Amino acid sequence: MKHAGTESRYATKRPWRHFAALIVIAVLVFGAFWAVEWDFSTFTNAAKGERAIERAGDLIASFSNPDFSSEWLERSWELTKETLSAAVMATFMAVILAYLLAMGASRAVCVGEESFRGRLRSFPLRSPMAALCALCRLILDVLRAVPDFAWAVILVAVLGLGPVTGAVALGLNVTGILGKVYSEFWDSVDEKEYEQIRALGAGRLKTFLYGIRPLASRSVQSFTLMRAECAIRNAAVIGAVGGGGLGAEIMYQIGMGKWGKVTTLMLFTLALTLSADLASNFIRRQLRNDPNHPRAVKIRSTASSVARAYIGVAFAMCIVVWSVWFMGWGNSAGPDGESKNYLEPLANLTSGKEVKKLKFFEDLLKPDFDGASIGLGDPEAVQKVHDAGKDVQLFSEYGPGSFWRPAAWEAWELELRNWFVWRVIKSASVPLSMAIVGTLLGVLAAMALTYPHSLAFQLESQQFTGESPHPLARVLRFMQMVLARGVGLVSRGVPEVMWAFLFIAFFGPGLLAGTIAIALHTLGVMVRVFSETVDNIPYRRFEQSFRGSRMTCFAYTAGPISWKDWMTYSFFQFESNVRMGIVLGIVGVGGLGFFFTFNFEWFRFEKAGTYLVVMVLLTVLIDRISRSLKLSRVNN
Amino acid sequence: MKRVLWLMIALVGIFSAAACGSGNEAANGNSAAGGGGGAPEKLIITAIPDDNADKLKEHFGNVAKYLEGKIGMPVEYMHVENYAASVTALANGQAHMSWMGGVTTVQADQQTEGGAVVVCCRDIDKKFKTYFIGNKEAGAKKVDDLKMLSEVAKGKDFTFGSKGSTSGHLMPRFFFTEQSGSKPEDVFGKVGYSGSHDKTLAQVADGTFMVGALNYATYDKASQELKDKAPIIYTTPTYVDYSFVARKDLGDELIGKIRKAMLEIDGSTDEGKKILSFMKAGKFVEADMKDWDGIRNVMESGVDIGG
Repeated sequence: MKHAGTESRYATKRPWRHFAALIVIAVLVFGAFWAVEWDFSTFTNAAKGERAIERAGDLIASFSNPDFSSEWLERSWELTKETLSAAVMATFMAVILAYLLAMGASRAVCVGEESFRGRLRSFPLRSPMAALCALCRLILDVLRAVPDFAWAVILVAVLGLGPVTGAVALGLNVTGILGKVYSEFWDSVDEKEYEQIRALGAGRLKTFLYGIRPLASRSVQSFTLMRAECAIRNAAVIGAVGGGGLGAEIMYQIGMGKWGKVTTLMLFTLALTLSADLASNFIRRQLRNDPNHPRAVKIRSTASSVARAYIGVAFAMCIVVWSVWFMGWGNSAGPDGESKNYLEPLANLTSGKEVKKLKFFEDLLKPDFDGASIGLGDPEAVQKVHDAGKDVQLFSEYGPGSFWRPAAWEAWELELRNWFVWRVIKSASVPLSMAIVGTLLGVLAAMALTYPHSLAFQLESQQFTGESPHPLARVLRFMQMVLARGVGLVSRGVPEVMWAFLFIAFFGPGLLAGTIAIALHTLGVMVRVFSETVDNIPYRRFEQSFRGSRMTCFAYTAGPISWKDWMTYSFFQFESNVRMGIVLGIVGVGGLGFFFTFNFEWFRFEKAGTYLVVMVLLTVLIDRISRSLKLSRVNN
Repeated sequence: MKRVLWLMIALVGIFSAAACGSGNEAANGNSAAGGGGGAPEKLIITAIPDDNADKLKEHFGNVAKYLEGKIGMPVEYMHVENYAASVTALANGQAHMSWMGGVTTVQADQQTEGGAVVVCCRDIDKKFKTYFIGNKEAGAKKVDDLKMLSEVAKGKDFTFGSKGSTSGHLMPRFFFTEQSGSKPEDVFGKVGYSGSHDKTLAQVADGTFMVGALNYATYDKASQELKDKAPIIYTTPTYVDYSFVARKDLGDELIGKIRKAMLEIDGSTDEGKKILSFMKAGKFVEADMKDWDGIRNVMESGVDIGG
């Protein structure tokens, strides 16, 4: 009996999942290249390639000449402050909303212990609390899926015009992201770890407050900081949705071809990103209380150990208070340089009259499913479409029996194109393809760059190798690390949208430019978190397995230890890259985002509604897959 | 974390107190911008953001100041970040008057269900036109009509301007489809949207796209070098474009006063010169919503971009 048990344990432990994952990735990449048309003519066509190189040369030349006139510097500084305050306000609002919504969306918190087993356990209407949980998840999905610029246009109806609208729009989007991740973190805390709190008779709220929350707090905190940085980095997106700031100005100046001004603005953006990086590191270090961490601040007295948490919180709060003040009273960017209270419109939310104006967007909730083309709904309309020859006659040419003939599939696809919803679904292949290829390239590059980027392997390696490197070798390693960090900083410091603009100038608008932009940004974001996980590994674990080469130690020890974390982060990044693919569609890459904005801007709300439904479905799908794969575990 | 929570709660308190504190002022402002009938206490104007935000703020700040003196009530300019938002603001009564493009003028009329009225437009708006331009190096030649263009430029890359633009997208697409009988997507290799008129010119000149369409005002004031690289190959018939649109519920009296003030602007005063030169106009002229019926028909017949 015991023997059989061991055998089955071995059987389940065989790592077939890795192979399955590899096959899935291969299929996805194949699908990405098959589903949409990629234009590689810049590489294959010599004349086009030459022109692209020429343009890239021009581009680099124009970047070497920043505009440092005092008035432009002053203006850039104003814009930087505007960007920072909008991003901080958005994140602050999002943290509060997301915390509450995540409590509802987390199964462990909202539903708690239950006797349902098997398939019934995932049925949303099994109990009132489970229904609430499903509802909260749906709200988060919608918040996340609707692009922030669409929120901005909708919110204009309620909040009026002004930078607060942009901040709130961004905040709603960030709420969706944070809420999802918080609730996943809480769900993935092992039930056994807070069993004793339940056993003592605590209800769901107390179990949450004293059991689940503290156990996941470190993950929650570090993700919040990461997101706050991202919000600041997404200056370009804030700009596009009406938050003004650096992003809007950069886009405008790129459009005008004023590269000197763009360079100055980019330098300010980079400076802001760098400060955000450093500030979040500072907060992180102050709040971290893991004495086993190799780089933990060693506590000297009780007072200083207590003070650290306060310093971290006070620092964060100072920024928040400043942003609210700046947004409300400090911003002197008004028409006559007078300060104007941009917070006023928020009061509108309290009066029902303004909220009623949302009725304007009613049609968004009535998506057009084009039933007439597939013979559903009003018979008259069906007949009209049929007479025009624009209805779907799936099996007119090939019956379902000829499914083995490729020509049949082509003919079916052609017929399906008459159905609007099919065209909408097809347009989703553009952001998906970009996200798949971009994430894969970015993550692979990030893994390679993690080695020179990691502090543990470059500067502190003697702690586990036992060598004492020549000073020159040390300098070399230091240079290597600085270079790697510089690459990481620049590639994540410049938002995807701006990368996309640059690559559009090089490759022309299309998937290629968008994919490279996504890959580059992914590289920057991922290399940071990847090397952070590597640096968090206690050095004694390297010591045991070190065999003379730092590179092998990295590949065979550090890699596998942090592999699961890397995959978790990569999947998060994939999800956000799909959304970014939609946003890039708006700026000229095409696909789902492009058609959505087009219909939205032309007030065809029913059609825009259909695109919105597909966006939400896409987000729900990826979210449910990541939840079922249990990718987000709390790494205690 | 508990401390964090308490601090956050405290801050929410402060935050909401601040919001309430300013609530009184806001309430006054709202009634001014309220969607209700009758003349408001403060006239709020806005514009589609087809130029740099600062330039627009300065320019429409001047317009607001000028109107304030003429109609005897406070006028304020509010900036919006995209075309759709300006229509929404007008339709919801958050703005009373707006500087609109051809498409947005019609949209404003549609979204207010006929509650919008054209105050005036520039002299140049009544005979707006679009140029089709081609890349010189690639051997662009003048064509008689767009049918001919669709034959000689088959398979080449083509770009419009912004997808919401009248002169950069809607009208050239309309004329092309009408004359050649087929969609640009079916004729050209790749159909792009450069984002603005000057970008269209730059991208056709440098060969990113072989053919493009842009509004004539932008082309005419471009540098000779660019014009040489991207000559005009076809000029469309004329159509109407920009206008000042106001909400009807401002009342005939107020609208009349505004119209009179706008039509009075000429180059004799510094103020007027500034306004007109920014708008590249000789003067403002009277116009009626009916003039935009052509664009309305094009819009209602459906613009099929393939999505």
